[in-house]
Amino acid sequence: MKEFKPLPARPAPIQTAGPIGWIRNNLFPTPLNSLVTLLILAFLATIIPDLVSWLFIDADWEGETQAACTSEGACWVFVSAWMQQFLYGSYPTDEIWRINLAILVLGAVIAAPYLLPKDLRNKVGVPLFLAFPFVGAAFLDGRLFGLEFVSTDYWGGFTLNIFLASASIIIAFPLSFLWALGRRSDMPFTKSVCIVLIEFFRGVPVLALFFMGSVMLPLFFPEGTNVDKLLRVWIVLILFMSGYMAEVFRGGFAAIPQGQYEAADSLGLSYWQKTLLIILPQVIKVSMPNILATFIMLFKNTTFLLIIGIFEILSTTQTALSNSNWLGGHAAEGYLFVALVFWVCCFGMSLISANIERKLDTSHRS
Amino acid sequence: MSQEQRNQSQVATANRSFFNNPRNRALIYQFLLLLGLGYFFYNIVSNTLANMEARGIKSGFDFLFTASGFDILMTLIPYDATSTYGRTFVVGLLNTILVSAVGIFFATIIGFIMGVAYFSRNWLINRLSIIYVETFRNIPLLLQVFFWYFAVLAALPSPRESMSFGESIFLNVRGLFLPEVVGEPGSNWVVFAFFAGLGITWYIKKWAKKRQDETGEQFPVLSTGLAIILGLPLLAMLITGIPFYLEYPELKGFSFRGGVTVIPELMALTVALSVYTGTFIAEAVRAGIQSVPHGQTEAARSIGMKERKIMSLIIVPQAMRVIVPLLNSEYQSLVKNSTLATAIGYPDLFTVFVGTSLNQTGQAIEIVFMTMAVYFVINMIISFLMNRFNASVALVERK
Amino acid sequence: MTNSEQVSSVSSDEDVIIIKDLNKWYGSFHVLKQINLTVKKGERIVICGPSGSGKSTMIRCINRLEEFQEGSLIVNGVEMIEDVKNIEAIRREVGMVFQHFNLFPHLTILENLTLGPIWVQKKPKEEAEATAMKYLERVKIPDQALKFPGQLSGGQQQRVAIARSLCMSPQIMLFDEPTSALDPEMIKEVLDVMVELAEEGMTMLCVTHEMGFAKKVADRVIFMDGGEIVEQNTPHEFFESPETDRLQLFLSQILQH
Repeated sequence: MKEFKPLPARPAPIQTAGPIGWIRNNLFPTPLNSLVTLLILAFLATIIPDLVSWLFIDADWEGETQAACTSEGACWVFVSAWMQQFLYGSYPTDEIWRINLAILVLGAVIAAPYLLPKDLRNKVGVPLFLAFPFVGAAFLDGRLFGLEFVSTDYWGGFTLNIFLASASIIIAFPLSFLWALGRRSDMPFTKSVCIVLIEFFRGVPVLALFFMGSVMLPLFFPEGTNVDKLLRVWIVLILFMSGYMAEVFRGGFAAIPQGQYEAADSLGLSYWQKTLLIILPQVIKVSMPNILATFIMLFKNTTFLLIIGIFEILSTTQTALSNSNWLGGHAAEGYLFVALVFWVCCFGMSLISANIERKLDTSHRS
Repeated sequence: MSQEQRNQSQVATANRSFFNNPRNRALIYQFLLLLGLGYFFYNIVSNTLANMEARGIKSGFDFLFTASGFDILMTLIPYDATSTYGRTFVVGLLNTILVSAVGIFFATIIGFIMGVAYFSRNWLINRLSIIYVETFRNIPLLLQVFFWYFAVLAALPSPRESMSFGESIFLNVRGLFLPEVVGEPGSNWVVFAFFAGLGITWYIKKWAKKRQDETGEQFPVLSTGLAIILGLPLLAMLITGIPFYLEYPELKGFSFRGGVTVIPELMALTVALSVYTGTFIAEAVRAGIQSVPHGQTEAARSIGMKERKIMSLIIVPQAMRVIVPLLNSEYQSLVKNSTLATAIGYPDLFTVFVGTSLNQTGQAIEIVFMTMAVYFVINMIISFLMNRFNASVALVERK
Repeated sequence: MTNSEQVSSVSSDEDVIIIKDLNKWYGSFHVLKQINLTVKKGERIVICGPSGSGKSTMIRCINRLEEFQEGSLIVNGVEMIEDVKNIEAIRREVGMVFQHFNLFPHLTILENLTLGPIWVQKKPKEEAEATAMKYLERVKIPDQALKFPGQLSGGQQQRVAIARSLCMSPQIMLFDEPTSALDPEMIKEVLDVMVELAEEGMTMLCVTHEMGFAKKVADRVIFMDGGEIVEQNTPHEFFESPETDRLQLFLSQILQH
């Protein structure tokens, strides 16, 4: 019997593997591609050095007033001087701890469903989650907590964007789920009402809804009632979000196998037991990436509030730019800062969403 | 069970079952819902009527025939302060359609290029595509509009120091000034020749397909078609002695007169809308191409098909199944987002009608209703056209 | 005394399922034609037939997963009518095992089993868990109690599904092609559980292609085609001397291999 001696593995030739191989394959595979690569590299070589020097090397970082903007580069002093307004609007400086606390609580309330054990989650996590917008608003307002009263006219800045977006999606969750259930219902009138609601709040431009909220809503209420502007905005955002989320849930429902409904029926569960115990958890899990995407969209849309006079971060930037102490064209620095802030948040959330999507994929495969 | 017991139980069930019958329950729930909605709307309507009377707000659509009293920055039809509100509505509508159409056009081009670029073998191009999408998707649209309007376009030179291209196109802080093509008598023939060229090319395409079915010979439709579409009008121009002249914009005083003016508001809005919406379209194109199983390309290659043909005959048709519905929602999104024109003063429907006109007349209900109806209709038309297109690219499946 | 309580105590040769002249249409398609079937307590019935013959549809009518337009259906003395209370009463007594298991993926095995007893039968949690563990041992996988359905094999999942139905203490068990979605090496473990169940005297209606199971355990085998019951007989008579040519054709097709 001949003994079989396996061949040892040899390293690959240099041209096809390692860094040289990579460069050849990915940057210069064909003549046309090579030309394009060279053009792009040339273009980058011309603008990147100038960009870097404007952004960082020549820029002004220290100082407190317009006078510190002496160099040719970006004047980041503008950003640091206005930082408090960018983040907190005109909220009184002494009370800013309230906003910080509210944001922390928001983070805790969102993380709670993942960290709490199962039974506590439903009894404690969910009610906390739903109560947060109301408690948070009352806290920032101050009167119910015995703190100094801060009218909503002074609320502003990036924290306002965060707060409005979160408060809206939290209440939109149950509302949109109900609308989505109604849309699936066999009762024709209920189904029609829900379809009209969903299509209306999805189809009308957000700005139109805001205008309706500020111009038409006062006509709908008896003479003399004065609904707080921010409250009106919040209601509009909730309705708008619910329209989009209802469609997200609709896709989620479709992704649940018919067999789940049948198994629940065959056990004898009632409609609401079946919906809340079996269907709801699965729908939320399956729809999570889309829910996050919708939230990101809503978050970006909070900048539209500038147009109706809410002092969120973009509006604050406009105010800062036109302030008489700071004239001199700092538009680029201001917008870049706001863009960076939003980009970090939105990109981060989209990474989380992609992560969840990947986890969902593997769990479904098993 | 005895007969008597059976009868008893049937009667017992009959009495209890009215409410327990699922159909009756459904009726009762819906009736309650109807009552609730009815009460809600009744309240709203009575309050509104009372409030309108108290504030002296008129109702009805008569205002559409009264003079508006204000000028508009850019109008596609003749308009001035004596024009009626009805005309204001039309001007705004046309401006909205303009910015939406141009935005959709460029967004689609950018989106498809960037979407396909993702699959390039060239690492740099792939990265550029990813950077483009991830950057512009995560920055709010309004911020991008402001950036283009207040940061970029505001930094352009004054009219006297305009950037110019060939002494006929000028770019400055007041806008983009292009020469206008003005037709002389006889120009109609050229236009006619162009459309005739389109029609003829369409027929040639059908004839070529038929010929290929019958004889297997392929006909260069693309090159022939291009030749005809460009050649016929050229021929007509030569025959009629080039019946066009260009009206150049000229610097008179502080600004340009003549030619076509593209105001910076329109430019900023269009660029921002195109770049922003382009990212979502690029994602849609990427999802569509990825949805086609790799086995399709492998099978096509093993038959010996060329790469270009594989793309156009195998990949793209299948990818369109995924892309078209996404395009539908993105186009509608763009139209809705065009209302941001208000923020920079571009006179779209929203700005001139829900903005200025509503402020002056106070007739919120009629104006908002008309405006919303318009956006609904525009989006329904887009939906209808995209659904027609979708149906034509859908796969036939076993029901 | 409620309607269902009046007649829940049936004697051992009582009819637990009475189907009379049942007809069902999907739109204009006549999918069940003049079904007449009586099942006695403790009977084991196997239903077979070509796909599209209506066998699954028929048993799904019994626990109201499907509705019918004509005829009558009485389960355990309770008539199936448009009444929420009746439907709930019937579903409490009838358990179902599905082809695709339909376990709830977001709950552990134990939670899957205790869900029904806790929310429908209103049992306290400890009692429900004790019952659940008892049945998990019956189906021979007590160690999987805290795992999730996605972590179990197909055969294990189906056995859990059987245990889940048993936890509700049903009078009747319906099986809708319970082994059709399983890999061949797992079919035996599920069939073993079903045989045990049969030997303990559970009333069973089973739609299946496993003829070995039918021969071993069934009291009656029913052949359906085109929405009708074509023939029914004891297993011996059914397989050895089919009465109709239709059944003969079917047997020759499935018993080839």
